[in-house]
Amino acid sequence: MPPILEVQNLVKNYGNFNAVKGISFDIKQGEIFSLLGPNGAGKTTTISMLSTLYTPTSGDAVICGHSVVKEPMAVKQCIGVVPQDLALYEDLTARENLNFWGQMYGLSGKTLSKRVDEVLEQIGLVDRAKQRVKTYSGGMKRRVNIGVGLLHRPQLLFMDEPTVGIDPQSRRAILDSVKELNRQGMTVLYTTHYMEEAQELSNRVGIIDHGELIALGTQAELTKSVGETDTLTLHISEEEDPETLAAEIRKVKGVVRADVTDHEVTIITPSAEELLAPVVTKSNELGIKIRSVDIREPNLEAVFLHLTGRALRD
Amino acid sequence: MRKIFAIFWKDTFVRFTSPLEWLFFIILPIFFTVILGAGTGPSDDQRVKLYVVDLAKTSLSENLFSSLTESNSVHPVLIELNVAVSEFDERKVSTVLIIPTTFSQENVINNRAELELRQQPNNMNALIAQQAVQAVLSRVSSAVDIANASVAKAESIEGFSFTSNDARQVYYNQALEQAQTLMNEAPVRMTEVEADTADPVSYDPRANSSAGQLITWVFIPLIGLSAMFAFERQKGTLRRLLTTPTSKAVFLGGTIFGQVVTALVQMLALVLFGIYVMKLNWGHSLAALAAMLVSSALAAAALGTMLGTFVKTEGQANGLSIMLGMVMAMMGGCWYPIELFPQTVRVIVKALPTSWAMQGMLDIVLRGQGLSGVWLEALVLLGFALVFFVIGIIRFKYE
Repeated sequence: MPPILEVQNLVKNYGNFNAVKGISFDIKQGEIFSLLGPNGAGKTTTISMLSTLYTPTSGDAVICGHSVVKEPMAVKQCIGVVPQDLALYEDLTARENLNFWGQMYGLSGKTLSKRVDEVLEQIGLVDRAKQRVKTYSGGMKRRVNIGVGLLHRPQLLFMDEPTVGIDPQSRRAILDSVKELNRQGMTVLYTTHYMEEAQELSNRVGIIDHGELIALGTQAELTKSVGETDTLTLHISEEEDPETLAAEIRKVKGVVRADVTDHEVTIITPSAEELLAPVVTKSNELGIKIRSVDIREPNLEAVFLHLTGRALRD
Repeated sequence: MRKIFAIFWKDTFVRFTSPLEWLFFIILPIFFTVILGAGTGPSDDQRVKLYVVDLAKTSLSENLFSSLTESNSVHPVLIELNVAVSEFDERKVSTVLIIPTTFSQENVINNRAELELRQQPNNMNALIAQQAVQAVLSRVSSAVDIANASVAKAESIEGFSFTSNDARQVYYNQALEQAQTLMNEAPVRMTEVEADTADPVSYDPRANSSAGQLITWVFIPLIGLSAMFAFERQKGTLRRLLTTPTSKAVFLGGTIFGQVVTALVQMLALVLFGIYVMKLNWGHSLAALAAMLVSSALAAAALGTMLGTFVKTEGQANGLSIMLGMVMAMMGGCWYPIELFPQTVRVIVKALPTSWAMQGMLDIVLRGQGLSGVWLEALVLLGFALVFFVIGIIRFKYE
C-alpha cells in the first residue's frame, strides 16, 4: 500500500532564514506519526506546508496521491487540520461552529446535520451544543477545535500541538481521543514538543530540530540508534558549580557523556544503577551536594539529548 | 454559492451577537440624521422679528401689516400693546411698531397720520426693521399719493365735479386700490446674483443630513471590513478556513457579499426613514437609487478589503476605518455642504468616493434626478470599487 503522505525534500525559507531545510519522510495508512521537536524547530511550518497554507520554497509532498503544490484543493479534501491555537467563533454555539465549518468542508443538508450530531457525540458536548463557545472551559473549547477537523471524515488528520496550555485532565482526554480515532482507522500526523505524548501515541517518530529531520523511526529503533543507554540526572544546589562535577564524572568508567543544563548534570550510561555509587563518591570528594537523582531508561528525550546535546524543553 | 451564504450568515450572526451593534447599525445613524437635519443650514424663517401693535384696526393699518408680511427682511408679529412693551423692555425683541388709532386714510390724506417705531439702541436688527418699515411705508404712502393725485387730476378736469363727498371718497378708494395692486405686482428691484455654481437647487439641511449620514454610517462599517479580515487572522479562523476546500475567492466573496448586503439593508432603512419621517423624495427614481446604493456600498467594501491587506491587527483596522471613514465623510460633504469648502478643496475631494456618493445621493433626493443624472457618479464609484478590489485581491494572502 502506498504511503498516505510522502514528503520530498521540503524546504521553506523566509529571506535568509531557513525554517525548514529539506526534510523527507512518509506516513503509512493507519499510522500515528509524531513530529517531535522543541519550540521553533519547524514543526508548525512543516504542517502549514502540508496543509497547503504555505507554499514550499522547494520540494513537494504528496498526500492521498495529490501534490500539495500542484493540487492543493484535492489535498484539502483529504486532510483535516486541528491547529495549535483555538480557531473557533466564540460568539457562536458549538453546533453553529460545527455547522459552519462543515459547510466549508463541502457538507450540506442531512449529511451535515448527521455529521454534526455524530461529532458532538464524539467530543462529548451534546448537552452543551447550544451554548456559546465563549462560555466553555479551555478543555471543552479544545474538544470543539478537534471536532471541527473531524467533520468531513478526513483520511489524514494533522494535529498541531493540540495539548499546549491545557489542564492534565483535558490533555488525557485528547490523547485518548487521538488513539480512538486511530483505532477507527484514521491516520494522524501529530506534532508535539512533549516527549511523553510522542512516546505514548506514535507508531513512528520524526525528531525535528532547527528545521532538519535529525532522526526517524519507531521508538525502539531510535533508542537503539543512540545505544541502549540509561539517563542519570543529578540535581545539585544552585550555589554549586555543575561544570566541575560534570568534568569529573566524564572521567568515570561507563559514562558515555555528561551534559550540564541549569543546575542539573545529565549522564548517558549503559547502566545507571552501576554508575550511581561512583558518581555520588565523586561528588562527595568535590564537596558538591546532590539534592536528588533521577534514573530513566532509554527514551526519546535521551535520543534528542544524544543527537543535539540539549534537552527538548530548552 | 452555498459556502458564500454560509460565510454571510456566520458574519451576520457574529456581528449582531452584540446588542451594541444595533446602536451603530440604525439608532445612531437616525439620531444624527435628525439632529444634523434640524440643526444645520438656515432655519425656516431668518427674518428679523418685528412686533406690530395695531391700535387703529383700519383697512389702511391692515394693508400696512399685510405689506410687512411680504417683506424679505422682517417677520411681523401682530401683538397686544402691553405684551409688546413688556418684551421690548426686557430686550426680547429689537423693534416694535405701534400703529396708533389716528392712522386712517383721512389723516393720511391730510398728512396727519403718524406711526411709532420703538427700537433697541445700537441694534443691527432694529436698523434692519426700521429700513423694512420705511420701505413698506414708502410703498403705502406712494399709493396714497397716487390716489390723492388721481382725485386732484379728476377735479381739475373742466366741467367735472364730484356729486358728493361720498362719491369723491369712492373715487379715492378705487384709485388707492388700483395703485396698491399695480405696486404690488411691480418688482421692487431687480437683483442679479452670479453664483460660482450652476446648481439652481436650494440647500436643504434635511436632504443633506439624510444623504450624508447614510454615507457616513455605511462607509465606516464597510471600511471596517479590514477589521474583519484582521479578526479572522488573529483568531486563527482564517488559517483554518484556508486549509478547508474553500478558495480564497469564495472566502473574500462571502465576506464582502455579506457586508454589502447588510449595508444595503442599513441604507434602505435610512432611506425609508428619510421618506416616511423626514418627508424627503428618495423614491423619485428607484433605478437611480439602486445604482447609487449598490455602487457606494461596493466602493466602500472594496476600500475595506484593500485596507485589510495592509493592517496587521483588529485594533489597527478599527482605528483606521473609523478615522478614515470620518475624514472621508467630512471631506466628501456628508456633514457640511461641499459648497462651503474653497474651490481648490472641492477639486481635491473628487479623489474620495464619499464626495461622488454624496453628489449622486443629492442628485436623487434634492434635485430629483433619475438614472441619467447619476450614471456618472455610479460609474466613478464602480471604478473605485474595481481598483480597490484588484489591489486587495492581489495582496490578500495568508503568509
